Amino acid sequence: MKTWIKILLGLVVVGIIALLLVYKFVYNKQHPDYENLEPAFTVTAQDLYQAYKTNKEAASAKYNGKIIALTGKLSKMETADSLVTAVFVFNQGDFGDEGLRCTMLKKFNDAADKLQPDGEVKLKGYCTGYNETDVVLEKCSIINQ
Amino acid sequence: MSKSCIIFLLVFMTAFSAGAQKYITKTGHIKFYSDGQLEKIEAHNRQVNSVLDFSTGGFVFKVLMKSFEFEKALMQEHFNENYVESDKYPAATFVGKVTNIKDVNLLKDGMYDANVEGKMTMHGVTKDLTEKGTFEVKQGKIIGKAKFNIVVADYKITIPGNVGNNISKTIEITVDITLDKANM
Repeated sequence: MKTWIKILLGLVVVGIIALLLVYKFVYNKQHPDYENLEPAFTVTAQDLYQAYKTNKEAASAKYNGKIIALTGKLSKMETADSLVTAVFVFNQGDFGDEGLRCTMLKKFNDAADKLQPDGEVKLKGYCTGYNETDVVLEKCSIINQ
Repeated sequence: MSKSCIIFLLVFMTAFSAGAQKYITKTGHIKFYSDGQLEKIEAHNRQVNSVLDFSTGGFVFKVLMKSFEFEKALMQEHFNENYVESDKYPAATFVGKVTNIKDVNLLKDGMYDANVEGKMTMHGVTKDLTEKGTFEVKQGKIIGKAKFNIVVADYKITIPGNVGNNISKTIEITVDITLDKANM
């Protein structure tokens, strides 16, 4: 076989592999494994809520889109469809309770259902921001003490 | 029952039902859907805050952009970083009114039309929005539903040329909320 054909074939193969890799790791890349991400911040539930309540802009810039580990006294658990939410209440406003709302990763739904109100819990989740009433964390997992 | 007694009862009931009655949810669902040439893009947000003041018809939505979930992680990244710039504009809001709220009878289960008008703010741009939806009164709850289209360019959301054809210029928004009477 002529050398230039070999080179061409080699390039085609490399090209196909590159396309497959791009497809797998860029186009079709997985959502983050939220449960195993290292938290960027570790705070108390109360401090996190207060940070947003006192200065929304500063807190948004610091915490939005970050993985946050938090501890606090759980107020209640809520279930809506398949969504289980741990709620920490610190205030009352137009929407009733205000505070922190942490929706659990599905695999933690059962464990979260067993969390006791008034008990200290340690959670980790992805902070999506503050909607003027609550600070919202999603994809939460329970951190074992 | 005497006539005056009935009148009193009617007045009392009207006054009671016209009092500040707020209906709220914090787990409303908003879906958006775009039917592009190459693929369909769909995202869900199940953390939507909404409050309906039944006495005035005042209707407010607050939606955190980072709470939209996409099937593909890459789409979610592009959505947040390039399109809605959720670090700069973390939330979308709608502040408006149900103009025909008087037609909705909370004491009678059933379907009612809801004419909603107000202002929607997204990506730092505020636009008037007038849409029709439905309210279903069911066992003391109000289930609100609406489906409408928005033009992304109206909100100064620019989609780069190379992917522009893959994302449709209008996006279909579906709203599905179950409002509970607020305990206040």
